Amino acid sequence: MSSDVFTQLVDAHYAPLYRFALSLAKKPADAGDLVQQTFFIWATKGHGLRETAKAKSWLFTTLYREFLRGRRRDSRATSLEDLPPGEADVTAEEVDRVARMDAASVVAALQEVDEVFRAPLTLFYLQDLSYQEIADTLDVPIGTVMSRLSRGKAQLRAALAREESAARAKVVPFTGAKGRTQA
Amino acid sequence: MTNEEAKFILGGYRGNGRDASDTLFAEALKQAQADPGLGAWFAREQAHNAAVAAKLAEIAPPAGLREAILAGGRVSVSAKPWWVRREWLAMAAAVAVAIGVGTMTLWTSRATAAGDPLASYALADVKPHRGHGAAVAALQTAMKNPAMRLSAALPVDFAELERSGCRTVLIGKRPVLEVCFEREGRWFHCYIGRCEDFPELAAQQAPEFASSGEMTAATWANGTYRVVVAGRAGREVIERLL
Repeated sequence: MSSDVFTQLVDAHYAPLYRFALSLAKKPADAGDLVQQTFFIWATKGHGLRETAKAKSWLFTTLYREFLRGRRRDSRATSLEDLPPGEADVTAEEVDRVARMDAASVVAALQEVDEVFRAPLTLFYLQDLSYQEIADTLDVPIGTVMSRLSRGKAQLRAALAREESAARAKVVPFTGAKGRTQA
Repeated sequence: MTNEEAKFILGGYRGNGRDASDTLFAEALKQAQADPGLGAWFAREQAHNAAVAAKLAEIAPPAGLREAILAGGRVSVSAKPWWVRREWLAMAAAVAVAIGVGTMTLWTSRATAAGDPLASYALADVKPHRGHGAAVAALQTAMKNPAMRLSAALPVDFAELERSGCRTVLIGKRPVLEVCFEREGRWFHCYIGRCEDFPELAAQQAPEFASSGEMTAATWANGTYRVVVAGRAGREVIERLL
């Protein structure tokens, strides 16, 4: 594979891969490391892949596998039996809430979602992969992807509400200098 | 199809229109158009999806990540054919020694660092950085000493350096210490990894040189540590440090 092709591949995919990695690994440094590792594997092994059309799926799949490989065994993996019951529909207020929040707060909320839902949910919001490609990337059936998207969205909405409440709590109302004394 | 089933399916519908021709969604989409309640739900769902997707798209990768990937990729994709790659050369050398052919110095100098993630990282990492802590300062002082032959004896206590705040990078999830030092008025990067963390690479290795752009790196291993010294000074200057 030529250097030009590799550059095109990086330019096309490194940003969404980084966003996916950030949602998984939570720390920017770890996310960057995951993306670099993914392209390193591509450069050393993946460039044998003849069908460059499949490169996108290959990169997302490899990044996810690298994340799982490096993840500590005692991480909080929610079993499907622990899932909450059915979720309420999204409201107009919840749409407005996202619009009000900054990107970092939205990502922080996304990172609160249990990992089993977070991976398909992030891939869905990146809008690069179809549900079929998400299923292939995560190696789960299509129905499972749909189910996890539904559950993940419910968790995300709850996390967004918590994130906004926490942000509001941090804002200390300015009461002015009235009554203050200078020592 | 009930409305709940339609919601379940439409939950996977991307708002950017890429799924518009997907037959899986066709019936549910038609139902959303016909049923005002379901249609309103779908509109809010799509608005929420779009809002989250837009926020996610605002997240920019850190500065330098693209360049680091490209630099690392360049030294990797230029890997030589299998018959001149390290493992085959090593095997050939072993066979040659076994049958008494004699000297094999084929791999003492290579144009790239293909197959060695630590050397690849060193060649790609062109940013200056400083270490922290007394242990790092002591190591920097030792490395700065003109009499110090780096490949002969490097006073490294990996655990202590890591504990005292030495900059550590992860290369394939494996910790590598990074110390910058000055010699002959030039700055060099030194990367130190534990041989046990890189079992795919030789634990004993005489200095090998690789280059990428302006960067030159010397890599060696002493059984305990795998060390890379990299800089823009060129091979001759780096050879004098070793």
